[in-house]
Amino acid sequence: MKKLILISAAIMTASYALADAPITGSVQSRCVVTTDTPGVYGNPNAYTLTTDPSDGGVLPIVRFDVTLADAYYAQITYPTEFTSSPSLSDTVTWTGSTEVSAVSDATGMGSYETDKTTFGETSQYDLTATGSTWFKTSSEATMGGNKAFPGGSYSATVEAKCIAQ
Amino acid sequence: MYRSVIISLFLLLISFSSYSHEMTPTYPKFKSSYMDGLLVTEMEIFNKRKDVDYYEIGVFDKDFEPIPFVSSYSVYKVDYLKKVSVEIYVRKKDESSITYICSRSKVLKQRVSNTSVTSTICSKVRRGK
Repeated sequence: MKKLILISAAIMTASYALADAPITGSVQSRCVVTTDTPGVYGNPNAYTLTTDPSDGGVLPIVRFDVTLADAYYAQITYPTEFTSSPSLSDTVTWTGSTEVSAVSDATGMGSYETDKTTFGETSQYDLTATGSTWFKTSSEATMGGNKAFPGGSYSATVEAKCIAQ
Repeated sequence: MYRSVIISLFLLLISFSSYSHEMTPTYPKFKSSYMDGLLVTEMEIFNKRKDVDYYEIGVFDKDFEPIPFVSSYSVYKVDYLKKVSVEIYVRKKDESSITYICSRSKVLKQRVSNTSVTSTICSKVRRGK
């Protein structure tokens, strides 16, 4: 009798141990835009704000991850205005550029920089390979007439777009 | 010794922390809705940006000119590491010109750091069955 109970218990335990715990998921093609490094403006002289590291700035770095080749464009635009700043007494001249900082696939992505198209403040890259690409954007603001930027905090925004082809 | 290793690992994790924005599907399709003359599609936004809580939705033609659409909101609150499904309704007569559905991060003015990044992801509408 004891043996029978033990066998029944063992069978029941085994049936519980075999219970499934399903995990479902789906994989879709996608583009992910990631801010790897937010930028910082350095202030090498009274009338210039720049993200140039040699002037105390930090270049903002944006990463694009794509899971489908030849399916997306990356468009990155450097800023042409402050999103917040103290009141300014003169116009500000903006310059900037974007370039590939690093790639996850040197063979497939090696020509991204040479193949890019630039229109106005925007650089466009055709993401022809799957993987990750890091882009760094430089930005410089110069106050008109070499006037000094008033004290306060300044911020500007880099626009990173991933557009399906 | 262990303390310095743990501190180093913590700093390493902080330095590699990054913030991303996803929207799927890449190629959505509009289908008939329960309302006459309106088509509907569903998009999903996933927020991995700690610095962003809001995303604006837009529907555009091939030249990125806006096309009227209806959704519960035009700006959605998407908490960090959360997904939000967005139903987008458009007029059937606009179907042939609709090309892109985009989501754009909205940074609160008080949260803008020195140089912030606005991320936009645009899906391309596929036509046909």
